[in-house]
Amino acid sequence: MAASLFQVFSAGLGLAGYYALVAVGFALIFATLRIFHIAHGTVFIVGGYVFFSLHRLLGLNVFLSAAAGIGCAGFAGLAIDKIVYAPVLRRGGGMFNVFIASLGAALIVEAGFLAWTKGVVSVARTDMLDIVIFDNVALRIFDIGILALVAVAFTVLYLWLHRTNVGLEVRALTDNANLATIVGVDVQRTRNSIFLVASLLAGLAGVLTTYDAGIVPSTGFQILFIGIVAVILGGVRHILLGTLVGATCLGLLTAFAGFFFPEWIISITFLIMIVLIIVRPQGILG
Amino acid sequence: MEHLLYLGTLIAVWIIVALAANLVVGYTGMMAMGQAAYIGVGAYVTATLNILLGVNFYLALSAAVIASALVAAITLLPLLRIGSFYFALATLGVNFVFFDIFRNLGPRVEGSEGLYGLQLPGLFAASGPRFATTLAIAGACALLCQRIVASPLGRVLRATRDRPDALAALGKDPRRYRMVVWTFAGALTGLAGGLYAATLFYIDPTLFTLDTSILVLVYIGVGGLASTAGSVLGVVLLTAFNESLRFIGLPSQYVGPLQEAMYGFLLIALMTFRRRGLVGNYDFRE
Repeated sequence: MAASLFQVFSAGLGLAGYYALVAVGFALIFATLRIFHIAHGTVFIVGGYVFFSLHRLLGLNVFLSAAAGIGCAGFAGLAIDKIVYAPVLRRGGGMFNVFIASLGAALIVEAGFLAWTKGVVSVARTDMLDIVIFDNVALRIFDIGILALVAVAFTVLYLWLHRTNVGLEVRALTDNANLATIVGVDVQRTRNSIFLVASLLAGLAGVLTTYDAGIVPSTGFQILFIGIVAVILGGVRHILLGTLVGATCLGLLTAFAGFFFPEWIISITFLIMIVLIIVRPQGILG
Repeated sequence: MEHLLYLGTLIAVWIIVALAANLVVGYTGMMAMGQAAYIGVGAYVTATLNILLGVNFYLALSAAVIASALVAAITLLPLLRIGSFYFALATLGVNFVFFDIFRNLGPRVEGSEGLYGLQLPGLFAASGPRFATTLAIAGACALLCQRIVASPLGRVLRATRDRPDALAALGKDPRRYRMVVWTFAGALTGLAGGLYAATLFYIDPTLFTLDTSILVLVYIGVGGLASTAGSVLGVVLLTAFNESLRFIGLPSQYVGPLQEAMYGFLLIALMTFRRRGLVGNYDFRE
């Protein structure tokens, strides 16, 4: 029993890696620009499907395809901001209008992929993944790789936010957007960097998920909602640490809930969200 | 002809749902993103009582109205004090939780995923009378809603939406009115759910997902917020448009995604160009 619980624990950490990559981008956009970016899940599946098409259908090298997938995700994120959000905001729409428009964008892209894939799961890998075994607990090398990647991504993000000028501007927007504009932060340029970075990370998560477990068009929505709960759980104002804490909690929770009562995973995730919204909307770290 | 009557009945059912949603979203400004949960409660209570326990249809329908009003009141109670944006997120969560409940605990007829075999009385047994009766009920609901919004209570509801502080200063508790209107809308939605089960003959959990809740938002968003005519117009126009898609000779597997994409486009276009909908009186922004 102890060994199998440890097995579940390690699976949960693997899941947490995916959640963290999606959630941190969402948190970045929400905390700085006050945009509730539902279509972030769309960016995730764009990365996944580009990777899948190039690698599995056209037989391109795995790393090249991954890079192309991540790049396309970055482009998709920027495009959604420019084509959908910017016009709504320019015409005097508020946060809520952008939220609904974002939902619209997500529906359109999801419908496109649904018509193309007919809802069949797309998995990019064709062989089994290597595992290493410690004391009856099997760890997948792939999961360890994901955690390493997440560690690298968060380190780079930390350096970006705290050691570069653009990062300083991003943090300025988080603290006080109006003041940041007054002192001359180039909001448009900062906005582009934020969307680009966030979308690249979501694309990375999409590529990894497609390689390992596979995606269907609705996977984007599912992982995004988990990401949102992770962000609320950790606290919106702590972009990096909050997301890591939230994603780890949710990864472990989904793994254990999936082990003991798999049919209630979605309910549990959303009940936690509702309880948090009521009791502690500022998150664990506050 | 049979198909036209079926469509007409469906339109009448959705008009009731849209009227109820417009009361809470349009007139009272509560962003309800989980109305499908209450449709589901109405449909499941009606079908379970009638099919599995052999209760008379009218009695089952009345029980459904009471049950969904109760469920609506109970689910609103913890959400009363949260702000509008998080409120939307929380109601969306409620929808997911109820979907899990229907899927995991919902009764089902042996050998299927849902319930079928309603024993319908004379007024609902054949498609002609069923259409006439459902339309009459929808008309009565429309008149009732129009009476409510034109009454002093309707004015208080709009004040709850626009100036809750001013309302509180006059000694009227906005939360009380939110609770009243939400419960009433829940009852109407449950009624529609019961009629929906009678129209479809077969219900299963997949009818009551977030997609359905979004559809309700699209209906009232297109027709017009805070307008009884808008609720009717949105449902009629969109259903007619959807049906016309069938006749352009598209392969059937593309019809669903095309509809989904169309709703996406509509949401974006509405949020960009006409936030109050076709004949609406309220512009949802924050």
